[in-house]
Amino acid sequence: MIEIRGLSKSFVGQDGGRVQALSDVDLDVAENEFLTVLGPSGCGKTTLLKAVAGLVPVDSGEIVVDGTKVRGPGPDRAMVFQNFALLPWATVLDNVAFGLELRGVGRAERQERARALIAMVGLAGFETKRPAELSGGMQQRVGIARALAVQPRVLLMDEPFGAVDEQTRRLLQEELLSIWEESRLTVVFITHSMEEAVLLGDRVVLMSARPGQIAEIVPVPLERPRARSLERSGKYAEITAYLWDRLRDMHEEHRAAR
Amino acid sequence: MRARVPAAAVSLATGAVAWELIGRLAGVSFFPPLSTVAVRLAEMAAAGEILQSVADSLVNLLIGFTISLVAGLLVGVAMGRYRKVEAALGVYVYALLTAPALVFAPIFFSLLGDGRGSIIAVVVMYATFVIIINTASAIQSVPAHLVEMARSYGASERQVLLRVLLPAATPMIMAGVRLGVGRAVTGMINGEMFIAVVGFGHIVTEAGGRFDSASVLAVLLVIIAVALGAVWLVQAVDRRLTGWVPQTSRGSQ
Repeated sequence: MIEIRGLSKSFVGQDGGRVQALSDVDLDVAENEFLTVLGPSGCGKTTLLKAVAGLVPVDSGEIVVDGTKVRGPGPDRAMVFQNFALLPWATVLDNVAFGLELRGVGRAERQERARALIAMVGLAGFETKRPAELSGGMQQRVGIARALAVQPRVLLMDEPFGAVDEQTRRLLQEELLSIWEESRLTVVFITHSMEEAVLLGDRVVLMSARPGQIAEIVPVPLERPRARSLERSGKYAEITAYLWDRLRDMHEEHRAAR
Repeated sequence: MRARVPAAAVSLATGAVAWELIGRLAGVSFFPPLSTVAVRLAEMAAAGEILQSVADSLVNLLIGFTISLVAGLLVGVAMGRYRKVEAALGVYVYALLTAPALVFAPIFFSLLGDGRGSIIAVVVMYATFVIIINTASAIQSVPAHLVEMARSYGASERQVLLRVLLPAATPMIMAGVRLGVGRAVTGMINGEMFIAVVGFGHIVTEAGGRFDSASVLAVLLVIIAVALGAVWLVQAVDRRLTGWVPQTSRGSQ
């Protein structure tokens, strides 16, 4: 579904020097796969996601989504943002319908589709509220509904639950799992939580920093549909412990290198 | 609980009493008490001097401010969005914002004559640049992630401008528009006093020449009323456009 070949990206850092965000990254994501990407901050995982979204130009390499080379944003991909990125002046209904509005879908149709998705993410009755009137968890539900409304093939999620409290985060993880079970979208999900990466992902892509590279791809052979009770299984504990060992090594290498 | 009296009414009443007292106690001809000024204002209104002047001045203000608003928004958005436009125009905008606009009065006078055109040009000189600068900063301070979000959903540059940048920037743009209205009123009076002697400026200049302070202050009262009316109008528009701004962040603007 997604093929990334030899992807490199650098940009000008704050001190004026060039920062290598991604260096020669190769990655394949299968159709209907839930891929989680884990790594220390500064490993380029967000840059990788934005490159797939077509939001940042790359220096070399290419990204092919569903047989088509990525040259910019496209209707086959939709993004969910860490800070929600909702329009503060627009109602929940208008926010969810925003992607459809940009694509020229008529008012009646886009509102109908938006209402259905608002109900799906459990926000029925909040259609006329504005983002400031909602909790963080509810705001991200709006963000997810907005992405689903455009009926993408690929859902790109950039630490979507990083800005909500632990309890809300758990609820959102479970809701995302059940949405994905039904829709079977291809998902690329950035996170800095080992537990989240393992609970959600079919595979966990472990990235290392400076330059951003794929250190390892760890398969997660846990049965689907997944439930919270998995957290008590030995396999789950084993994989999260392994990921933490790898991450701690990276942090120590990084400290030694300085 | 006592009946609530609006703060603005208390403030106005206090100012009126202070004016009256200071005017009476000082007893100087250049600062007559409020009652004297009010009587003079009534006489002028009865003689029909005020109404025609109000009409003349308001037309100047309206045309001048409309030009300032349109030019200010267009140039401001372009400067806020496109770095090259900002690099090209920024120095002129800041220079003209700080330059005393009346310096240009002789130029307008020679180019446009002593009619309405020159006064409107002065109004535009006064009001436009503060609107440009506020609009440009407003556009620049729109969170980048909103633009990125819109682009990720395939927004064109036009959609980014109209659907994201302009609505997000409206509260701050309106702050500039309010400042612009105040400056437009100043520009109107100065234009009428120094270039084409019409409207309020005409009365003020004539009365000033006769050392008739009561008339000057009477006209000043009317001008203040016009200015407050204009600002009130802008605030009403502002409330309509930016009702979505949460009250907590509204106070800090």
